[in-house]
Amino acid sequence: MKDTRWLAIYLPRIRTDRLLRAGRGPSDDRPLAVYSKESGAYQLQGIDARASALGLTLAMSLADARAIQPKLEAVEADPEEDARALDNIAAWCERFTPIVVLDPPEGLFLDITGCGHLFGGEEKLRAEVVTRLHAQGFNSRAAIAPTPGAAWAFARYRKQTKRSVRILRESLEASLAQPTDWQAELATLPVEALRLDPDAAALLRRLGLKSIGQIQYAPRSSFTARAGERAMQRLDQALGRAQEALIPRRPAPPVFALRRFLEPIFTADAVLHVTQDLCGDAVEKLDVRGAGVLRAELVLFGVDGRDRIIGVNVSKPLREVKPLMRLFREKLNVVGENFDAQFGFEAARLDVVRLAEFDEQTRTLVSVDAGYASAETISSVVDVLSSRLGPKRVVRPQLHDDHMPERAAAWNSAQSEYGSKFAKPPADGVQRRPVRLFSPGQQIEVMAGVPDGPPIRFRWRRVTREVVRAEGPERIAGNWRSGEITRDYYRVEDKQGRRYWLYREGLYGESETQPRWYVHGLFA
Amino acid sequence: MSLRPASFCLPKGPAQDAGFAGKLATMASQPLHEIGPSEPGFEASALGFTLALAAHWVGPAGIFWAGEDAAFAEEGAPYPVGLAQYGLPLDRLIVARARKREDALWAAEQALAATGSVVICALGAQGKPLDLKASRRLLLFAERYASRCLLLIPENGPSAAWTRWRVGAAESDAEPDELGVPAFRAELTRSRGGPSGASYIVDWNAHERSFAERAKQNADTSFHREALRA
Repeated sequence: MKDTRWLAIYLPRIRTDRLLRAGRGPSDDRPLAVYSKESGAYQLQGIDARASALGLTLAMSLADARAIQPKLEAVEADPEEDARALDNIAAWCERFTPIVVLDPPEGLFLDITGCGHLFGGEEKLRAEVVTRLHAQGFNSRAAIAPTPGAAWAFARYRKQTKRSVRILRESLEASLAQPTDWQAELATLPVEALRLDPDAAALLRRLGLKSIGQIQYAPRSSFTARAGERAMQRLDQALGRAQEALIPRRPAPPVFALRRFLEPIFTADAVLHVTQDLCGDAVEKLDVRGAGVLRAELVLFGVDGRDRIIGVNVSKPLREVKPLMRLFREKLNVVGENFDAQFGFEAARLDVVRLAEFDEQTRTLVSVDAGYASAETISSVVDVLSSRLGPKRVVRPQLHDDHMPERAAAWNSAQSEYGSKFAKPPADGVQRRPVRLFSPGQQIEVMAGVPDGPPIRFRWRRVTREVVRAEGPERIAGNWRSGEITRDYYRVEDKQGRRYWLYREGLYGESETQPRWYVHGLFA
Repeated sequence: MSLRPASFCLPKGPAQDAGFAGKLATMASQPLHEIGPSEPGFEASALGFTLALAAHWVGPAGIFWAGEDAAFAEEGAPYPVGLAQYGLPLDRLIVARARKREDALWAAEQALAATGSVVICALGAQGKPLDLKASRRLLLFAERYASRCLLLIPENGPSAAWTRWRVGAAESDAEPDELGVPAFRAELTRSRGGPSGASYIVDWNAHERSFAERAKQNADTSFHREALRA
């Protein structure tokens, strides 16, 4: 708690910035405002810098605003679009830390604990966020504090000074900072900085409590009685006396490693190189936790603002760089072809999305027979195959208790745990089921010897085959509820010794139409 | 530690080269074999022979069956119920399907790196014939890791394989109106360091995971069975 660092971003003009950025603002230099209907009247919800300079304010009624500024361009608010814009910014912010919390309608929290050094210090990180948001057309203010509440307050209510002076002052502050400095500064801010609802803030003002400092040491009980539980809780959260649970936009990975590049990288080699470094970092962290990777995702942050995510799955927890790199290399081989690096990548992050306890013994376990690959080797081969071919293409057989041939077996990802049910070959060695199954069965033309018997000749794939031996029928009743028709199966051998698994759908004489015949599989 | 699994170290003797059993014993120490159908329409037999060899040789490292989509689609999908009856250990069988031939070959190479494994590399009829380099790579991987590779491929091309088999179906040896055990007509069309051209009719005993050569005349088949189990 003591060591956490939070960056609060305040986007005061997100509603109008969003429109201006999308080219939906006025084409000339008229002011822009966004309005919505509040308690029966149209009210300004957002104003751009020009409108602000011309004396318009938030919560002003649209009629008043038009009276002051007849040229005002007013657009109706679209809260959904606003939320989407905020979410997009949040996604973009994930290049600074994986833990980004939405604080609608116009704020974000970034947990930057331990991230500052990657950007040359926290202040540089903060400045970069603001500068780059500005470059993308979003006005923002940002501040860093040990609690989300304090960061929120500073971002909105700290007196703005000229930036160059600020950086100097704050870097000085950062180096000299006493732990209580920020609390002292917080005390000077107005009560509104506590994230109170307007009524509570207005009440405090009526009581003559204007700054946080004034209520900080106020008697708790009487204060709570007047301003409500919420205000006290907000104060405690801002001061770090109470923990605040924030839910990140995306679940935070238990372990991650982040790298930023001075120059954007383009080539697959460079990406591989970085991935190796990231794997090294992640493995170190996993060592501390005594855990291994089950799924890792490499997130590449493009200069164009788009992310590419490359995930690999592991079947047994893994905590070594080399096998991890093997998986990423295979995956990047495939993905790399349509990488579309565009303007290059400016940062990369490795998220260990799923991890599992790492059994220290698995590392030293030697297979019983040294002449054969151990189970760990097999599963690492499976991982490599799965990461290039895809998990659905690397499979293990699974038998099911179902008499319908199609449902009696399935193929599951070889990375999953396999079932326990395994059949032994029959004692007489005679095959009742084919090694290959057509699904669905392929229709054939048949000449049946007797109406209810096996065919004497049939035509499949444009070749007529003479049946010399046949065994059957084996009757398999379908599920009548789903409309499956009873089948009579025959195992037949043709003149050349080839063996087929045939079935007749339906029985003779049951309906007007001739029953249909299919070849369902081939015996070896 | 010996790199090769125990089964590679069969003693060599003159008796071993007698008949199919002898050939099989020799093959056990050779890492790459090529199998194809004797003629179009007998792909199932070629696969059956390949699977039988894999089941016969399978060890704790199991069987990898790597194939390109074309090799799986045409003849139907591998069916676990039938494979189990055929003698394949389902708990040690992994199937990898690749879209392209290069990927199938790559997958086979990766699987061969699992020491002592049996790898079936199944290629489809489409596309260019396999070049010598590709089969040589498989051979090198198999040699390096003491694993075995069975290359199931319909066409004939230059190949680094130790043996090449053309396999067709053989009629059942059971009572009339009964289907017996799987049976093959297998012709050895190529054999490095040995005579080729021999043709065998063999039955596959899925329960014992062993082959039995069918008596051509009055040969003592039980001799071969004994030799195989030894």
